[in-house]
Amino acid sequence: MFRFILGDSMKRTLSAVAAVLMTSTAFTALSFTAPAFAETVTIDLWSRADRSGPLRAGNIVSAAEQLNRVFAAAGSDTRVGINLIETNAAGFDADALDLLKAHSVGETPDIAIAAHEWIGSFVEAGFAANLEEHITANAAMYADMIPELWTSVMYKGERYGIPQDSEIRMFFVNNDILRAAGYDQAYIDALPGKVETGEFTMFDWCDLAADTVTKGAAKIGWVHRPNVGPDFQMAMASFGIDIYNDDEAKLQITKQGLTDYYGWLKYCVDNGSLPADMTTYSWDSTHAAFRGGDAMGKFHGIWNVGAQMDSFGLSNEKEYFDKLTWIHAPAGKKGGAPKNLSHPVVYVVGDTENKDLAALLVAMASQHVPNTAHAVGTNHTPIMYGQTAMPEFIEKGWALIAGTPMLKYAEFMPNHAKIGQYNAITYTGIQAVETGEMSPQEAAEMVIEELEIELGDDVIILD
Amino acid sequence: MTPSNTRQATNALLFLGPACLFLVCLLLIPIIVDLVVAFTDMSQTVRVGEFTTDQFGKLVKANPEALLGFELRGSFYRALSLSAVYVVCTLAIFNVTFALILALTTTALPDWLGGLYRAIWLMPRMAPSVVYGLLWLWVVDPTDRGLLNQILLAFGLDPINMKLDAPVTLIVFANGFIGASLGMLILTSSIRSIPQHLFYAARADGAGSLSITRHIVLPALRWPLSYITVFQSLSLLVSFEYIFLIMGPARSTMTMSMLAYTKTLAPGIGSGQYAYGAAITLILIGIGMVSALLLYRLTNMKRLLTRPRIEVQ
Repeated sequence: MFRFILGDSMKRTLSAVAAVLMTSTAFTALSFTAPAFAETVTIDLWSRADRSGPLRAGNIVSAAEQLNRVFAAAGSDTRVGINLIETNAAGFDADALDLLKAHSVGETPDIAIAAHEWIGSFVEAGFAANLEEHITANAAMYADMIPELWTSVMYKGERYGIPQDSEIRMFFVNNDILRAAGYDQAYIDALPGKVETGEFTMFDWCDLAADTVTKGAAKIGWVHRPNVGPDFQMAMASFGIDIYNDDEAKLQITKQGLTDYYGWLKYCVDNGSLPADMTTYSWDSTHAAFRGGDAMGKFHGIWNVGAQMDSFGLSNEKEYFDKLTWIHAPAGKKGGAPKNLSHPVVYVVGDTENKDLAALLVAMASQHVPNTAHAVGTNHTPIMYGQTAMPEFIEKGWALIAGTPMLKYAEFMPNHAKIGQYNAITYTGIQAVETGEMSPQEAAEMVIEELEIELGDDVIILD
Repeated sequence: MTPSNTRQATNALLFLGPACLFLVCLLLIPIIVDLVVAFTDMSQTVRVGEFTTDQFGKLVKANPEALLGFELRGSFYRALSLSAVYVVCTLAIFNVTFALILALTTTALPDWLGGLYRAIWLMPRMAPSVVYGLLWLWVVDPTDRGLLNQILLAFGLDPINMKLDAPVTLIVFANGFIGASLGMLILTSSIRSIPQHLFYAARADGAGSLSITRHIVLPALRWPLSYITVFQSLSLLVSFEYIFLIMGPARSTMTMSMLAYTKTLAPGIGSGQYAYGAAITLILIGIGMVSALLLYRLTNMKRLLTRPRIEVQ
């Protein structure tokens, strides 16, 4: 291919022109600045306006207030102010792209709240600061962190973020539908154990769901998310697809694994357990299918518990687990290991002159008490082991305590710059197979061709 | 410069200046930016690292057996085919034919009734795109909550799922129902501008309604129909909002404009590939320009734009 390298000044000029013309997403900036003291260090905090997690940013603001009280007690004139840049992006992906655009025109925030899989892009763009030294120097503040969560902030073997919250994605089962289809309590109670041992497979899941439809207990067997997203990774992992090569820091795929995975989806559509038009559902229809009692199963995240309690009219833990069962994504083959997925939101510290101060504020905001206020309020699993012993957690976070052991089987999305493209392309295969447009083999070939062309050297085709 | 020339120049600046500025800022500059970005590696950040033709390379794949040594990549070929089907069907069925039928029938009705029908057909235009999209989602909902299925069930027919079984038909209908109103308005006004005495004379000569339509109305609509065809073709070629609102990023309706949108700005579906999207858009601009020139020639639009031979004082 024809190419020539641009000079730095040309790059800057082109970037500036392009940025002005392309950055169309509006964002609002709210300033929470400290009163004028002798020296005020302003920390720019980038956060998506997300009503489901106001304390993600709020805990940083509280940490700054706490720090200012320390400065005052020490007689120092220095104060820390937080300039909250609250964006109105539709989701974390759109927000991350806005953040990258802002960074590329010199508007780099000191702290950003982001979905963890964007860390690879942030590092490659020169935005994210390496936090290894900070974590080592402040070991006591992070000693209780659930170790698996560190995986979510790793890029090429080093940590570039601090987990802000965690969650677990699993398969939800409606017990009442199983009962109506003739399954007894012993079967329901044994189901999670059978999944853990690999006795109950993904195909058994589809058969079970189809059986409830055949017997008239459910209108729909099971539903998955209706758009591109991380949930599918746990199902792919169940079929042996390890989508990331740690050694080479590249994405990877196997044609056989993909064919098996798509073959399973086709099996589910053909046996009537999965709607063929699942990928054209809206989120509302998807939620309504399960929460309305029409579908036997659904795979999604633990934060659904609150909405499920409301929809099913449940009031406590006992009623909840009588109505619903949680299982991991079963293994693809008998005897295989189950999988699930955690998709943490993380604090990323910008590589700015304030990065040390910003990292300390993140450390303060990540402690047990502030993080529990966020986790319990938004149905997210804890980031520190000790949080599960806190009275507030025990009282209000019973579902989160129940979900924490599931993290043992958790997969994380790779922190690779092109994971979004990878997911979008593999999703086109799901669309093609479920709608009957392609066979699993054809879809796997199409997806691999697309991956090779669009991702180039960033993806390894294993077979 | 004489005062007369100065005045002429000032007048030209006053009258044409805003339009020229509009054209440069909103049409010319975006095309130039698109042209430049298409030949770069811009993605995720808006930084340009190098000039390259890589983005166009993604649209084709090597095939030694092909005439030129390469063939169009599956997804790109599919997007081109879907765009052609979508544009031709929407244009032929709704934006021209149905618009013509609406104009002919509503002008044949009493004024108040014709006006009422036209107002009803204009309602989708008045509604925000999202509302119109949501209404369609409700109409074609695959369950028995959907309006279409409620009607089918009332007649004892089986429910259908248009999003799954007839996705292209669905986007043609959704765009056609809203697109027909523009043609209807233009054609209605053209029919109204035909001198009434021609109709009286035709009636006096014993012409029926069909003859009047064929020999008086249709010839008068030639230029408006040509304009509608050219304008709506280009408009449909780049339209994607209703497709995205109703179908989302579905493979079954991934037209060229949808492909460009999903690769660049659509949230959460692998977007951020600005240079790649710009390359697709550049091809779309090329197709648009060729189509416009072709239609301009085929419909003899040049004659429409020439100065009339007789100047009426």
